Amino acid sequence: MPVGGRVSGLRARLGLGRRDALDGVVIVAGVIFAVAALPSLLSPYWVVNATIAFIYALVALGLGVLAGRVGLISLGQGAVLALGGWVGARLLFATSLPYPIAIIVAGLITMVMGTLIGLPALRVSGLYLALVTLMLAGAINVVLTDTNFPNGGKGFLGYNDISTGTPPSIRRPSIAASDPAFLRYTVIVVLVMFVLVLLHIRGKPGRAWAAIRQSEPAALAAGVNVTVYKMWAFALASFVTGVAGALLGSSSHVLYNYQFPTSQSIILFAVALMGGIYTMWGAVVAAFLFQIVPSLFTVWGISNDWATILFGVGALQVLTTAPAGIAHQFPRDMAKLGRLLFGLARRVAPAGGRAP
Amino acid sequence: MPSWSSFQPFIPIGLAAGGAYALSGVGMVVLYRATGVLNLAFGAIGAMGALIAWSMINTWHVPGGVAYVACILFGGVLTLVYGMIFGRVLAARDPLVKAAATLGLALLLLGVMNRLWPAQVTRTLTLPSDNGGFAVGQANVDWTQVIAVGFGIAMTAGTALFLRVTKLGTAMRALADDREITATLGVPVRRVEAAAWFGSGLLAGAAGLLLADLDTLASDALTFLVIFTVSAALIARLRSLVVTFIAAIVIGLVDNLITPINSITNFRDMTPFVLAIVALLFFAGRRQYSFARGGIR
Repeated sequence: MPVGGRVSGLRARLGLGRRDALDGVVIVAGVIFAVAALPSLLSPYWVVNATIAFIYALVALGLGVLAGRVGLISLGQGAVLALGGWVGARLLFATSLPYPIAIIVAGLITMVMGTLIGLPALRVSGLYLALVTLMLAGAINVVLTDTNFPNGGKGFLGYNDISTGTPPSIRRPSIAASDPAFLRYTVIVVLVMFVLVLLHIRGKPGRAWAAIRQSEPAALAAGVNVTVYKMWAFALASFVTGVAGALLGSSSHVLYNYQFPTSQSIILFAVALMGGIYTMWGAVVAAFLFQIVPSLFTVWGISNDWATILFGVGALQVLTTAPAGIAHQFPRDMAKLGRLLFGLARRVAPAGGRAP
Repeated sequence: MPSWSSFQPFIPIGLAAGGAYALSGVGMVVLYRATGVLNLAFGAIGAMGALIAWSMINTWHVPGGVAYVACILFGGVLTLVYGMIFGRVLAARDPLVKAAATLGLALLLLGVMNRLWPAQVTRTLTLPSDNGGFAVGQANVDWTQVIAVGFGIAMTAGTALFLRVTKLGTAMRALADDREITATLGVPVRRVEAAAWFGSGLLAGAAGLLLADLDTLASDALTFLVIFTVSAALIARLRSLVVTFIAAIVIGLVDNLITPINSITNFRDMTPFVLAIVALLFFAGRRQYSFARGGIR
């Protein structure tokens, strides 16, 4: 049996299309590159930025689950990230739980909190959910401004009012104490979270979410428990974002409330739209836009206000002309360009061949 | 618990803030019912208008009255331009997409404001009406606060009356009921929508001017004061102008009356979220919240 035939047979047995197989190859190659080569290729500045970008890919992934899969728009994911950061920091300071367990518990607690807070809004239609989550972002910001992030202090809040000196660091796993090692660790965690979300999308929840997104009454008529599956999506997005928050705390060693302004939730939503909410690649593009573009602007001496302007224009452009975002548009545009160049080359080549 | 006299000074402040939120809220509800667009850039539009007025007064030494009119007009023109470009393109899309697009406008304006008026510089915009006033009990009331409440009442009543008795208002109500049938009846839909965009923009500019004086002249803070407006509009189920006004006044009052209560004063800005959630739970228990068509009341 030829190799091509064997590959096709394997794809068929796994239920994968040609595109899935190609995606799989690219993902495996990308992860191997990100773990093995990327940390040693980047300067310390870009190692930190790449780590944060991978963490924000999780936030965009959560937004993609909500908006792209179920059609629920949450404008409060920045606040959920802050919640995850708070819980993660508190756990990492207060307990000696192994690091992977601590971030999973942080994700689970954030999931419960996020779901409970969003529960009243899940009973109402889409626009109300967007409005309530926007207000939630403002409310969580108010609470965090008062409580501050844990810094190794005592009591429930774990905050110690330190006016001088360096605050204690939020711990990292012992195998990833350095920045390059933590980047590798983050890539692995992000991969696990992407696989978790992929399993949901390919499974029963994914089918229920697709039905809800198409038509809620039709999904209801087909026997889909709309409230449960909406809550499920909210829980999954909150879990993934909670894990991201815990990683973010360890990444920067210390968290401050000014790192999570209300505007961040809106910018996150805008970049998620720009990246593309209907594919998981969109989350990666969104993270690149959110973290790497402003960092590049900083390096080039361009004000970060231009990044905010870019995100505003980008959100408008995506909503009016390209709803599937860059992750969908870019490969199509490149393919079109490739076909155009190939066509031009073919037209030019015979003419050249016939020349005396 | 603080004494009654501690609360008194915060009553006019709360009423004035509520009046300004009501202005935005009324504009937001009318625009939503007429065009299906929930404009979440209301705060950013008002903020930019106020910053332009500040620059006109402090940099170009333009008389205050001209600057204030420019602020209000800026709100109207910018909203109209947005409506004519993006309102048309997104006319057939889901209300959620239309609302999300206005967030793009909010971000765009936020970036431009931070670029042109850096946040590091403290700015204040004081209206001439701040200088006079009167006392009621322990509370000092200035004329700006009176204007904010009065303008809020006048705009709510005036808009409700306008929608009832004028031809344009009737056309707006018809649009709110059914856009397709209204168009079939020969109503110039685009012109009516343009009027709704412009009118709501004028209210955004006026609210921005008042809030810049009553609260603060900072792009971020003013942009996100839209959360208070959204809460009032949400409590009114994006439909009733009178309920929007009452909800805005209640939000303004509660937010400010919490100030003297030390144990919860730091959490006072959670007021819009808490009140909106209470309203949601209340209504969700009675009947399903939905965006079923219905006129502006």
